[in-house]
Amino acid sequence: MASPRIIVVGGGLAGLSAVIKIAEAGGSVDLFSIVPVKRSHSVCAQGGINAAKNLKGEGDTTWQHFDDTIYGGDFLANQTPVKAMCENAPAIIDLLDRMGVPFNRTPEGLLDFRRFGGTLYHRTAFAGATTGQQLLYALDEQVRRFESEGKVKKYEGWEFLSAVIDSKGTARGITAMDLRSMEVRAFPAEAVILATGGIGAIFGKSTNSVVCTGSAQSAVFQQGAYYANGEFIQVHPTAIPGEDKLRLMSESARGEGGRVWVPKTPGDKRDAKQIPESERWYFLEEWYPKYGNLVPRDVATRAIHKVVYEHHLGIDGQPMVYLDLTHIDRETLNRKLEGILEIYEKFVGDDPREVPMKIFPGMHYTMGGLWVDFNQMTNIPGLFAVGECEYQYHGANRLGANSLMSCIHGGFTTGPIALKYAKSVEAVEGDGGAATEVTRQKEINKALITNEGNENPFKLWRELGETTTKHATVIRYNSGLQEADKKILELIDRYKKVNLSDKSQWANTSFAFARQLKNMLELSRVVVQGAFLRDESRGAHYKPDFPERNDEKFLKTTKASFTGEVEGPNFEFEAVDTQYIPPRPRRYDIAK
Amino acid sequence: MATANHPAAPRLKGVQPLRAGQGTSFFWRKLHSLLGVIPIGAFLIEHIISNFEATGGPAAYAAQVYFLNHLPLVRVLEWVFIFLPIAYHAIYGLYIWMRGKSNVIYYPWAGNWMYMAQRWTGLIAFVYIGYHVATQRFLGVSLPENPGAAFHKVQAELANPWILAVYIIAMIAICWHFAYGVWLFAAKWGITPGVESRKRFGYVCAAGGVLLAVLGLWSIWAFVGPKYRNAPADVPVSMLVAPVGGINGN
Amino acid sequence: MANKTVTLEIKRQASPDAPAVWEKFELEWRPGMNVISAMMEIAANPVTTDGQTTTPIAYDSNCLEEICGSCAMLINGKARMACSALVDNLEQPIKIEPLSKFPLVRDLQVDRSVLFENLKAVKAWVPIDGTYDLGSGRRMFPQEQELRYPLSNCISCTCCMEVCPQFNEATGFVGAATIAQVKLFNSHPTGKVLAEERLRALAGDGGIQECGFAQNCVEVCPKQIPLTNAISDISRDVLLQKAKDLIRG
Repeated sequence: MASPRIIVVGGGLAGLSAVIKIAEAGGSVDLFSIVPVKRSHSVCAQGGINAAKNLKGEGDTTWQHFDDTIYGGDFLANQTPVKAMCENAPAIIDLLDRMGVPFNRTPEGLLDFRRFGGTLYHRTAFAGATTGQQLLYALDEQVRRFESEGKVKKYEGWEFLSAVIDSKGTARGITAMDLRSMEVRAFPAEAVILATGGIGAIFGKSTNSVVCTGSAQSAVFQQGAYYANGEFIQVHPTAIPGEDKLRLMSESARGEGGRVWVPKTPGDKRDAKQIPESERWYFLEEWYPKYGNLVPRDVATRAIHKVVYEHHLGIDGQPMVYLDLTHIDRETLNRKLEGILEIYEKFVGDDPREVPMKIFPGMHYTMGGLWVDFNQMTNIPGLFAVGECEYQYHGANRLGANSLMSCIHGGFTTGPIALKYAKSVEAVEGDGGAATEVTRQKEINKALITNEGNENPFKLWRELGETTTKHATVIRYNSGLQEADKKILELIDRYKKVNLSDKSQWANTSFAFARQLKNMLELSRVVVQGAFLRDESRGAHYKPDFPERNDEKFLKTTKASFTGEVEGPNFEFEAVDTQYIPPRPRRYDIAK
Repeated sequence: MATANHPAAPRLKGVQPLRAGQGTSFFWRKLHSLLGVIPIGAFLIEHIISNFEATGGPAAYAAQVYFLNHLPLVRVLEWVFIFLPIAYHAIYGLYIWMRGKSNVIYYPWAGNWMYMAQRWTGLIAFVYIGYHVATQRFLGVSLPENPGAAFHKVQAELANPWILAVYIIAMIAICWHFAYGVWLFAAKWGITPGVESRKRFGYVCAAGGVLLAVLGLWSIWAFVGPKYRNAPADVPVSMLVAPVGGINGN
Repeated sequence: MANKTVTLEIKRQASPDAPAVWEKFELEWRPGMNVISAMMEIAANPVTTDGQTTTPIAYDSNCLEEICGSCAMLINGKARMACSALVDNLEQPIKIEPLSKFPLVRDLQVDRSVLFENLKAVKAWVPIDGTYDLGSGRRMFPQEQELRYPLSNCISCTCCMEVCPQFNEATGFVGAATIAQVKLFNSHPTGKVLAEERLRALAGDGGIQECGFAQNCVEVCPKQIPLTNAISDISRDVLLQKAKDLIRG
């Protein structure tokens, strides 16, 4: 047979890594992406990428990296794939270096490494403050090379709608929509790899990019794929709230002495500089006298959340607290923090050297995702998932600078496996169900475009974001989660009355968004209900009513499957692979 | 291709991608750039310095004209190193201008103003030089044969205040065009690849341009000022031989 | 403050062939508002100041942090990224138009794929032998990294091309972004192996010779990439390459 055709959906680090491995091994790839792949969300990663290269004489090992990752993830990650990732990481860094990533260097010309959260080692390679951008570009360039050699065909500006699944339940391709002509087409393939990133948009505003809706994951979830650990959502303590999104403010601001505070009086209207010391509440310093403002991320996040939502002390009644650097002299700030201060200056318009920054925890990363086996294949044969859209590398909490590695390692692993699968899979019968699936998708489109009603999809989305952010991010109560699920059900119901003011069939962005919204709504129930069922606190999942980790009951992977019933998804639990490191209590107040 | 990814979309027009390694425009554009400096720029300097002899009066000026017109192969030199290069530089320059779209309204930055100024000064130079060569070289008294008539011919021309204004504007425009042209040449040929080096060389070019313009305007003053008012229509050749030190035997 | 509003005038065009029309919107002012959030607001309530219901604005955006390069458009006549365009810093009414040098798709969406074609034309990549483990790359001093890193920050927003008086259909000029990428890859120890090919490519029609050195590119670049320095350096390299080719035959 001719060389097998493989479809990769998503052009971030994970997708491009898979494409490169397949093209290099002689396979043909159709690469689908909503945005030109160079504009994928991976560009937003700043800090760096972890690999135990041990170039600082600290005796770092891949085992240490493995242990830190498992421990940081509160033992929820299956250990076999994590171990493989940590062992593969140093070689990946070398490869990225050879591809031309401008990593920072030591005077001797070696790669420089810095420290990051959750470890005591200098293990994070970095390229300025734009590591993700630099890595993505390096992979994008390699893919462009394969594209010019005819080994890769890009479909940029096409949105994945669904998998084409044959009568035996095997994935045989995808359906996708051209976001300009709105044409829906089926694309056959022997294997399909989803690399569609996180689900930030389900939370309304997050640090994620606009395209991170989780729509693709939700679509295949609704087609029968398991979604695992959906309840594990990382919230970064210091993001810059914006009208359009949340932008990350690096932890180094606190590392250099930044102090977090709120006015003691609710709704205090005065400018920050007008509020005297005695009327400021440095709550982190008060609650955690030992670590002060440098408590671990999840602790800081929970504390800020509590001050705003339980003490109602957010600045000006808004969900924001001050991150104050104004007591530090300008010269020090410029020397150590200029890059991130410029981001704040550019987007907020205030100079953080003069005015305290207004920050708030922001939804940042999706630990959960499509369930995959150790070969990165979902329970739908022929359908693979890789990168942030799958679940298996970070457990209950991701360590900083591990995401880029999990994406690239995942892609490099999945590419060859998918190619091998594609070469051995039985030939498709007929069109493999492509025509039926296209018809189904066209009917969804037709129904949406002709729908009568009075609901605006963007308003529904705002309401979804408000409820998920309120009930399913930092602090979770079962009552709130139930309320959120009820709200989502209401939104699903109101969605039936969505009326698009734009009924055209050319570059109709609100139409595409309305389609994604339906998928967001379905997937948000996985998050909310999964959180409801997990009566414990583990990693990023925190329930004040169940503040302890409960390994006996919940050292388990949550697996959700779609039912189509009003009750929502069906949940089952799967044992976690803990064969290398037995679970132990996770504490950051002492060295582990 | 750009639109191959969108088979159902109407073909969108736009700027075409780079024609890697194809075509000859590189050669013609670089030739334009080079000719502007050598020989045209070199000739400009020579011409302004020669004309500066006018400040020494009709006789000195006539001697210089006589000298230049008695260089070996002077007619060949004139065509190969002056007329043809200027014609090419001018016509190709117009072609360059036609294909650029100035946008200083929205982007009023110094470099962008200079980009526009380079085109306008080029146009002024083109029109002026056409007129100047026609009137001074080819029409009226033929100066190669009658170098002694040079001063009077120019003076008569500049007696018209409109023509005088044209000469002053053109003098400044041409010196501007040349000075910035040299700066551009250095920038675009990689001689000044850094911001600082371009800045420093900018001062050099500006100083050179101002110097040339001052010399040029000074020369114009010699023709219109009171000192040599009513210069003789012709200066006898016998008077010219001595000052140039016997270069010409006759 | 409560009734403070923001006025936007947006140039709309339903399709490449449709006539352009201007629509005016008045929105409630909110602190920290940028042009993107204003357009999100319009999407949630697509009504013009005349009370006409209209369609949400079509525009490209993704990261909203000025790092993905998606949301370039003309704001009050100037090419810039919409995400970092804070309403408080703009003169009102805020006039928003699509980039003018690229084929229009709809409203503020344009097709900028020509840049990616140009990157292909100059082979903007490091031709590694393969992705298998070959050990560390070559050592590189921090000084070299500091030279390459700024060039590698290009977000392909195409602002430098939009503002360039020479970038148009008549010249087919390649633009500053691609030239800077040639410098980036020609300065890499392995990338260098294709240096001559890249330089010859840039001497083709629409190549580096079309630069008029108006320097708008370097003024507008949201990432402060030293574009004119790259143009100057690469111009010299192209010229030397062509001279060498001429002599060697």
